[in-house]
Amino acid sequence: MSIAEHLTDLIDKGKTVCLVTVIQSDRPEFPPGAKVLFLPDGSIGGTVPLGELTEPLAQLAHAALACKKKQLTDLAPGLRVFIDMLAPEARLLICGAGHIAVPLALFAREVGFSVTVLDDRPDFANTSRFPGCEVLVEDFAPALRRLPLGSDTYAAVITRGHEHDFECLLEILPKETAYVGLIGSRRRVEFVKLELRKRGIPSARLDLLYTPIGLPIGAESPAEIALCIAAELVATRRLGKEAARGVQGERRVGP
Amino acid sequence: MNDREIFGKLAELAKQGIPVCLATIVETAGSTPREIGAKMLVGADGWTFGSVGGGCGEHQVKSAALRCLLVSGKPKLLEVDLTDDLGTRGGDVCGGKMWIFIEKIDGP
Repeated sequence: MSIAEHLTDLIDKGKTVCLVTVIQSDRPEFPPGAKVLFLPDGSIGGTVPLGELTEPLAQLAHAALACKKKQLTDLAPGLRVFIDMLAPEARLLICGAGHIAVPLALFAREVGFSVTVLDDRPDFANTSRFPGCEVLVEDFAPALRRLPLGSDTYAAVITRGHEHDFECLLEILPKETAYVGLIGSRRRVEFVKLELRKRGIPSARLDLLYTPIGLPIGAESPAEIALCIAAELVATRRLGKEAARGVQGERRVGP
Repeated sequence: MNDREIFGKLAELAKQGIPVCLATIVETAGSTPREIGAKMLVGADGWTFGSVGGGCGEHQVKSAALRCLLVSGKPKLLEVDLTDDLGTRGGDVCGGKMWIFIEKIDGP
């Protein structure tokens, strides 16, 4: 199996892999281009035997996997390596397959998310409306109970009504996610939050909600709203949760 | 183009025994058009897949990759200077520099 095939296989299995490539070297046993793979579980693969460098390299890879940082670094005198981090695509889970979901799925795919669409209406949730996406036609709550969410899952809750939004958030909010956005007017959003609080969702979790959803670009049409949500997803992925809220901040001032 | 797609394509070409060059941005300084880790594949006929930023900078990478692929066969660390004032020499006005590692990937 080629190293590329091995990497592809690992990414498809949902693993994050640290790929170390020798860039400059005055040691013949580690020529430029030589590669070593590290997995979070500590296993090692690659094209060269590491000898006495096994330990320092493993430490470096371990630290890099923890902070997900790509960088050029000197492993030893005369041995410069590039630490690359290869991770599965971030996943966008769209709850509600209505008019905003179609352009949102399109934009999100284009900027590198793998997209799952969930709705209980087969007329809306189908692959002809969402090419290239995983489409689930199921009731919201049981599907969300079953789906694995995690630190690379982004959720956009844009169902047809606040009772379904509520139902989705009740399942999503207790779990770890990268982002949860909720669509709706201020009134609808406050109502949903109130209901969630009554059902025991702690305020700290409710504060994690991005709502009103999307960056403030004056969006009106479904496609424009989808664009501002996609922009918020990118901001969260690239800048981090806190900084992405800073981008939003200006809109929140005011009446 | 994400890493999964780059390595997927690389695996596919390796299986067919087609040699290509992999170009990876390994270091940047100042403003650059793409981030560290961005990748591009270059084939012997000038075919490219992915991007390290486009424009003249990417063209330099492509030329170096073709040299590596067809002539030297050796990996190379290429410095691309994008500090050209107002783009008078050819439009590289991002303001920064980037270092790109270019290597031939030979197959399985």
